[in-house]
Amino acid sequence: MAEALVSSQASLSSPALTAQRAPRANINASQWRNALFIAPYLFFFVTMLVFPLIWGIWLSFHKADTFGVGKFVGLANYARLFGDKIFLQSVGNTFYFVLLTAPALALLGLFLALALNRQTRSAAFLRAAFFSSSVLSVTIVTLIWRIVFIPDFGLLATIYGWFGAPAPAFLSSPDLSMIAIAIATIWWCVGLPMMLFLSALQQIPGEIYEAAALDNANRWQTFRSITLPSIKRTFILVLLIQVVMQFQLFGQARLMTQGGPNNTSKPIVMYIYDVAFKRWDLGMGAAASEVLFVLILIAAMAQFVLTRRRGEN
Amino acid sequence: MVVAGDFAAAPKRSRSITAREVDVTAHIEIRDVVKRFGAATVIDHLSLSIDPNEFMVFLGPSGCGKSTLLRMIAGLESVDEGTISINGQRIDNLPPGQRDIAMVFQSYALYPHMTVADNMAFGLRNIGVAANVISARVAEAGRMLEIGHLLERKPGQLSGGQRQRVAIGRAIVKEPKAFLFDEPLSNLDAALRVRTRVELAQLRHRVKSTMIFVTHDQIEAMTLADRIVVMNNRKIEQIGTPMEIYSRPATRFVATFVGSPTMNFVPVRVAGGGAGGVSVTLGDGTSVKTAVPAMKLEPGEFTLGIRAEGVRVAPNGQGVTTGTVDVLERLGDRTLVYTKLKDGSVVVAEDIGYSRVAVNDTVSLSIDGSRVHLFDASDRAWHCEEGING
Amino acid sequence: MSRSTSIMGREFGDRLVLALVIVFALIMLAPVLWVIGLSLKANAELMADTNSVFRAPYTVMNYFNILANSSVFRWILNSLIVSTCLTIGTLILCSLAGYGFARLNFPGRDILFVAVLLGLAVPEQAVLIARHQIFGILKLHNTYQGLILPGLSAPFGVFLMTQYFRAIPKELDEAALLDNASRFKIFWKVLLPLTVPAQATLGIFTFLWSWNDYFWPLISGTKNTMFTLTVGMASTQTNFAQSEGLGFLMAQAIFAGAPILILYLFFQKYIVTAVSGAAVR
Repeated sequence: MAEALVSSQASLSSPALTAQRAPRANINASQWRNALFIAPYLFFFVTMLVFPLIWGIWLSFHKADTFGVGKFVGLANYARLFGDKIFLQSVGNTFYFVLLTAPALALLGLFLALALNRQTRSAAFLRAAFFSSSVLSVTIVTLIWRIVFIPDFGLLATIYGWFGAPAPAFLSSPDLSMIAIAIATIWWCVGLPMMLFLSALQQIPGEIYEAAALDNANRWQTFRSITLPSIKRTFILVLLIQVVMQFQLFGQARLMTQGGPNNTSKPIVMYIYDVAFKRWDLGMGAAASEVLFVLILIAAMAQFVLTRRRGEN
Repeated sequence: MVVAGDFAAAPKRSRSITAREVDVTAHIEIRDVVKRFGAATVIDHLSLSIDPNEFMVFLGPSGCGKSTLLRMIAGLESVDEGTISINGQRIDNLPPGQRDIAMVFQSYALYPHMTVADNMAFGLRNIGVAANVISARVAEAGRMLEIGHLLERKPGQLSGGQRQRVAIGRAIVKEPKAFLFDEPLSNLDAALRVRTRVELAQLRHRVKSTMIFVTHDQIEAMTLADRIVVMNNRKIEQIGTPMEIYSRPATRFVATFVGSPTMNFVPVRVAGGGAGGVSVTLGDGTSVKTAVPAMKLEPGEFTLGIRAEGVRVAPNGQGVTTGTVDVLERLGDRTLVYTKLKDGSVVVAEDIGYSRVAVNDTVSLSIDGSRVHLFDASDRAWHCEEGING
Repeated sequence: MSRSTSIMGREFGDRLVLALVIVFALIMLAPVLWVIGLSLKANAELMADTNSVFRAPYTVMNYFNILANSSVFRWILNSLIVSTCLTIGTLILCSLAGYGFARLNFPGRDILFVAVLLGLAVPEQAVLIARHQIFGILKLHNTYQGLILPGLSAPFGVFLMTQYFRAIPKELDEAALLDNASRFKIFWKVLLPLTVPAQATLGIFTFLWSWNDYFWPLISGTKNTMFTLTVGMASTQTNFAQSEGLGFLMAQAIFAGAPILILYLFFQKYIVTAVSGAAVR
């Protein structure tokens, strides 16, 4: 628009040029054909992500099954949802699970990163080992941990057996089932926070430590006044990434406890799965998804606000 | 080797070696050109004509628009108003690849994953030059630039100086109408820079083509250029041969920017009137007779500019004024004497290599009236003219 | 005096940290060793006493049983097809888009890029149900396309490739433009060869993610023959301890986990880069 104005002015001021009104060559010009590079991805982005997202919100206001969208029911799905004790319980379970895992993962990851942030071979080996569980699929992780917790044949049962004691019933006790899932999850996921902390630690310039050593700072002082402030931002980032990730707990709960006993370990995502893909009440499932989406958005917003504001200082 | 689906497929041209004798060099005409970045105007109604085979240097401080102007000629920046043409043909509406020019970048911009030979051949292959012509030209450029033994290496395996030669070679093989250099020496260390400067001066006589060279280094400009365009603050300050720029700077900016040490500037009063050279009065009351024609000047306040070589430490008492020595810079062949006049103005004077002057001495200074420049309130310069006594 | 105590304190601290790391390492390792142990035992022996894991005889019979009769191979094949296609598709789409966003200007570019970045914050669950219904209408369930296509919309790769292209000096594009190369040729011949490290990172990341994905394959590929390895392995867990026996199940777990662990060991460097790259945003 502005460009068109400019060139018309140019032709006014020099009438000799009006004859050649060839377009200005501009390699940075905004051109539709440049969007051809984006178009293939954009197609999938719109059809597989944007459209289903909007369709899902639409669905949550309707009575719907697999065969199509039924009649508009307004907020009825949401009303039913918040009247459902099992849903409220699953929200509570999810928060409980996030509380169990996210801080533990962040602290454990930080500890491992601090301990293994050195250039020795054994440190490199241990780093690789602690991260290796993260590349396994949820199926294998739960298989491994069920065989630890399972009565009679489990590793835990066997170890307790050496002392003649019965092992706690991790998978079948209402008090312990979520803890069992949390332990397996921490085992599975601790690699990522460790790696994030390691890359943050490696960005602290070595001269700062040398300066601190010259200032006779002891190890604790160095840690408190240099290391901690430098990774504060990463700590918040890691914590919030974990909050967002653990909010989406599904596979572990489904495979280790089936949400039981008595729904004590059923998370929101599993509730969505049951409602939408077992009872085929897609409208209500969609409503539950939107509630989860909002919860995760709040966490993501918190991450954005907290990390950006700190970045500006 | 053209990939299917090329968006901006260039017209296929293939020029034989014999064809280049015909139309090898370019007259570049820049007329009333304007460039804006958003609200900021970077180049403001600039016009300039570059002759065929001329080595033109754009000189100026960073941010003066000299690189932008070069990139506009190359087609890497759009032209908001005005025209650029080569040999009468308008090019500012052509994409960069079709302007028949080559550019050497400050960072060289060699393709890291291609060998030296492929780097040079890439552009020729894109316009469909025959393979045997390409290899002949690459071999020739390799010989000329003494990089023939490096043709199969990748840029990462070369030293800075060698990369620089490859970048020049990549431009030469295209046999363009004009070469554009964007501060090509600034990434080299001092010694290599001097050597490459000399080699560029030699190359310029072997390769007959118009060359435009952007730099902020006045020595590069003085040594390489046929003509220099001194730019400052979106505008051309002066266009001239190196000696014109040096001895008759058009503005106070040019006088300041070119020459080392920087020209001395002293506020003076012009009494005015009469024929012959005008007499000026310095702040300390000294009167100096100059060779600047008096009839052109209105009486009033001026700034006198004179280079250190025009101010000499005079043997006892023979100078026109005196100053106290602040700092001595011994350069071997001469000595620069930083003095303070009685009114506090600082003047750098020149003395012989084995100067016996010491700091805090009071020295007598002579001022060569035939080397004086006067700058009026708008910083326009008035120069001495021959035949007028200074 | 104070100096020697501080050194003593340092040594004590070091040992404490070391001891804790070893304890954690053992906790990491013990379950895996237990699974390996069980996989090497005959089922009857385990039923009698799990402590038999700690003594001979060991057997590889369970592993032979996998080779003999198991759907595992079909599932591995499915997983290979899905993960490979998704990886190749992602690399192509994200490279093109990354170059476009980093280097070219077109109407609405910046808004679009922000939209793609916002896509990073959308959890899978928020689109799953609608997508499942749409795929049902299009009859894409229990097909390879149905398993592959949703993954192609993941915004992470676009973000990664855009950042990578932005880090390449723009003078290379300009030199190539002066060399009369088209935009596609610049992308294909000049810039793409320079993005190999990013391609490797994104490729491994995508492959691992796809291989381990659980929820979408669970609801889309519901026929036994269309199970991916992850879903198939999960399906055998529901009838744990009874049917085929513990040792067999454990051997299956090892068999399914080993390839991905080997892949991890080979490409550890790129995986670490991918993880830290994700952190920098």
